[in-house]
Amino acid sequence: MDSDKLKVRIKLFRDKKSFEVEYIYKKKSLNERPMVLDVLLQAQEEKIDDLSFRYGCRARNCGVCTVDINGKPRLACRARVKDDDLISPISTLPVIKDLIVKRDGIPRQMIGYNRIPFKNNLNVEAESSYHNLTACIECYACLDGCPLHKKNNLEVKNNDAYSYGNPFSFLKLQRLYIDPLTPEEEKKGIIEKAKSLGLETYKKEYKNLKIKCGVGINLKDEVIKPLLNAAFSYQNEKKNK
Amino acid sequence: MDKNKIIKLEYDVIVVGSGGSGSSAAQAAAEAGLNVIVISKDPLASSDTKICEGVMTVRGAGDENDTEEELANNIKLAGGDLPDKKITEAFAKDSKVAYDRLREHGLRPSINKKRNTPKTLAIAMGGHNKSRSVGHKNSGLSFGHVNWDTIIKFKNIAYFEDCWFLDVVKNMSNEKIVGGIAYDASNGKLLSIKAKAVIIAAGGLSTLFFPKTDTMRGNTGDSYAIGIRAGAALVDMEQIQFLPFCLASPPSYEGLLAGEPATGSFLGVLRDKYNKVILDSVYLRTRAECSEAIMRAVADGRGSPNGGAFLDMTANKKAKRSGKFFMEYLKSALPSAYDNARQALGKEAGKAEVPWEVRPSAHYMMGGIKVDEFGRALSYNKVSNKTKKIKGFYAAGQAMGGLFGSNRLGSTSLTEVAVFGYRAGKDAAEYVKQNKKKIDDTHFDIHHKKFFQLFNSNGKFKAYNLKIDLQRKSWKYIGAARKKKDLLAMQSYLDGLDEKVKDVLVKPNLSWNQQLIEKLELQNMILSAKAVTLASLNRDFSLGGHVRLDEKRKRIFSKPFSTLILMDSSSKLKLEKIQRERTNFITFIKYKINELYRLYNAKFIRILPDFVKDRIIENKYKKILGSKAESIEIQAGSLEAAPAEINK
Repeated sequence: MDSDKLKVRIKLFRDKKSFEVEYIYKKKSLNERPMVLDVLLQAQEEKIDDLSFRYGCRARNCGVCTVDINGKPRLACRARVKDDDLISPISTLPVIKDLIVKRDGIPRQMIGYNRIPFKNNLNVEAESSYHNLTACIECYACLDGCPLHKKNNLEVKNNDAYSYGNPFSFLKLQRLYIDPLTPEEEKKGIIEKAKSLGLETYKKEYKNLKIKCGVGINLKDEVIKPLLNAAFSYQNEKKNK
Repeated sequence: MDKNKIIKLEYDVIVVGSGGSGSSAAQAAAEAGLNVIVISKDPLASSDTKICEGVMTVRGAGDENDTEEELANNIKLAGGDLPDKKITEAFAKDSKVAYDRLREHGLRPSINKKRNTPKTLAIAMGGHNKSRSVGHKNSGLSFGHVNWDTIIKFKNIAYFEDCWFLDVVKNMSNEKIVGGIAYDASNGKLLSIKAKAVIIAAGGLSTLFFPKTDTMRGNTGDSYAIGIRAGAALVDMEQIQFLPFCLASPPSYEGLLAGEPATGSFLGVLRDKYNKVILDSVYLRTRAECSEAIMRAVADGRGSPNGGAFLDMTANKKAKRSGKFFMEYLKSALPSAYDNARQALGKEAGKAEVPWEVRPSAHYMMGGIKVDEFGRALSYNKVSNKTKKIKGFYAAGQAMGGLFGSNRLGSTSLTEVAVFGYRAGKDAAEYVKQNKKKIDDTHFDIHHKKFFQLFNSNGKFKAYNLKIDLQRKSWKYIGAARKKKDLLAMQSYLDGLDEKVKDVLVKPNLSWNQQLIEKLELQNMILSAKAVTLASLNRDFSLGGHVRLDEKRKRIFSKPFSTLILMDSSSKLKLEKIQRERTNFITFIKYKINELYRLYNAKFIRILPDFVKDRIIENKYKKILGSKAESIEIQAGSLEAAPAEINK
């Protein structure tokens, strides 16, 4: 390939069929090292006017542009392209069109999850472990390799929720659990919710669990482990009673 | 027209947008016990609020004597007397309770234990007359989680993402809102939704200038286009906030923030491509002054390779004693902007050893749908010189106008969305409860028909390419610096574009039809661009975010007015001007004298011998940085980042 060009393959999904197209990216300068998003924007302008993909802030903040690069989830706005890269929709969610996947089955499984009553004293600080979790940009890279999410039937119709959880939904629960304003009596409810999403599976597969966060949150130590611990001590408590 | 392609729904309130305003609006209506539907084209809560700097104005947080009147006046004066008095008062009244609502949903600031209040930034923001800006860990993301949780919390809120809201539906006999229609791309349906109230919380129009913007892609002017088509007036549409020092290259970083006027520090200057200084004392200039200097150089052919200029901070770095303090200041003042610049421009630039190529970017729309202090959208009648409520129609956040006028104080947008989102939701709920009458199906028929007319298998033009062309023209003609000649050229260009849109290719299928999405957004961008152009033509002098290169006159003593854009029955836009009340003369003069004093002081320092200068500056840094460098973090878009901003 000439040094002023880059060849990529883009996996499209149309009329219930999936197929690959090749796109030759024309560099804007010889030393340009384009991101995947640059390639997609140029491909839509030059060749495929209805190429469908998500993007938002272009600065690794909004979490909507996740695609698979050579089979692994990456943020399109901050993933450099190499020659012959394959860009495909993330494999963990149902594809609607081209690189667009249906995302809302995940937040939907959390509807009504936060039942914390409003408290009077808001002037309480949260621990750093709490803020570590709000760094999550909801890019869904963590679905890759999640044994629990794998159990979901991805062929959901309309706006249904997934039955089984994933690192993101557990992150939401753990954040609520360690929120200093969450009263003790509500914590049982949070653990119940985690269990109803299938937390049990993580217990069995914890050692082999390979989940990676798109922005570097330590999901195993900061989300899964504390939830598992809380779930067990809660169970023991019940037994003791 | 295919009946099974339409899904009929009925809710009490429709909220368009799921960011800061949308989630607050939905919360208020849901708390009142109503059934709410949130329509969002981007994924849930993935809005400008999620990607912002996360600093929020909370009255009284840093100072017990921070009265409502003080804050309201502060905003009004900064906005060049264009802000609506009642709206600024509502802002000041509710900022604290709006902030607490976010905290009830998990926003956790650091606490000032002595005062038992949220901790404000260490130094009072330049333009704020009191310390009232509260910063947050993980910036906007912490707000993004709150918005997400707010919408998900309520079982009586339904949400539809991947949905493009097209228009409100009105009962034409009494002008009341009866619902709206939306294109549900992921399910491939047209949603036809009955509702007695619609709240527009769909953000701004910065995508008109893409990639010369640092905001979310979805800002395609939908709010303003939906608003004006529904009969509302648009106010101050020429007032777009541009940040002057954004990246011009490489393409992946284009438009993102590199620094603010304050970044230039004591010795930073702007240079053209011949290395000539085009603006000195950059740190004491307004954003508009910096933008103007850059764009003037570009217009004269003296611009940098990518259509900007060079921000040269090397003198700061070279200074013997103060140089190392400068680096500390540069890295810590605007950390995310500094990271952008270092990654994009390379190591040498990161060390400020070479000048940075910079160019303005669109950041925030200060104008918008004309509303009252409850977010109720208003139409305007010229003959009676009166505004009138459009019953059941609301706007909040960046969609609304009237709060900021010609300039926005830093950290106020997060307060704007939380205060007016909630106010609109609450008022909408009260309104709906009083209107029990059943909604008739027939009002929707014409909208269904119009929707299916959007398809055109034989279209000649591609909407996406027209969109890119519009973005390039918008930058050239109605961007950071404007001229009458260019504005007139833009008007005829937009008229031509209107014709082309009629002949755009849209294949007739409903399942995620990207051509349809591009066309819908293009139409909204065109209408918004028309409003900006018309307002800019009639503001024939520079004011705040609006820079006229061809009109050097400053009209600081003339009576302030706002521009209003209206749509007539033949879909043509018209302009009106409404008079605004001028702030007390003495207060105004005080600001001006203070401003001139600072500028001359800075110029004086620059002509001193190097060794004297270096010592003076070193002491200044020590004063700013204090013992802990971490405390100086300032916010992009704030007045502190551009201290000269006030009342220009």
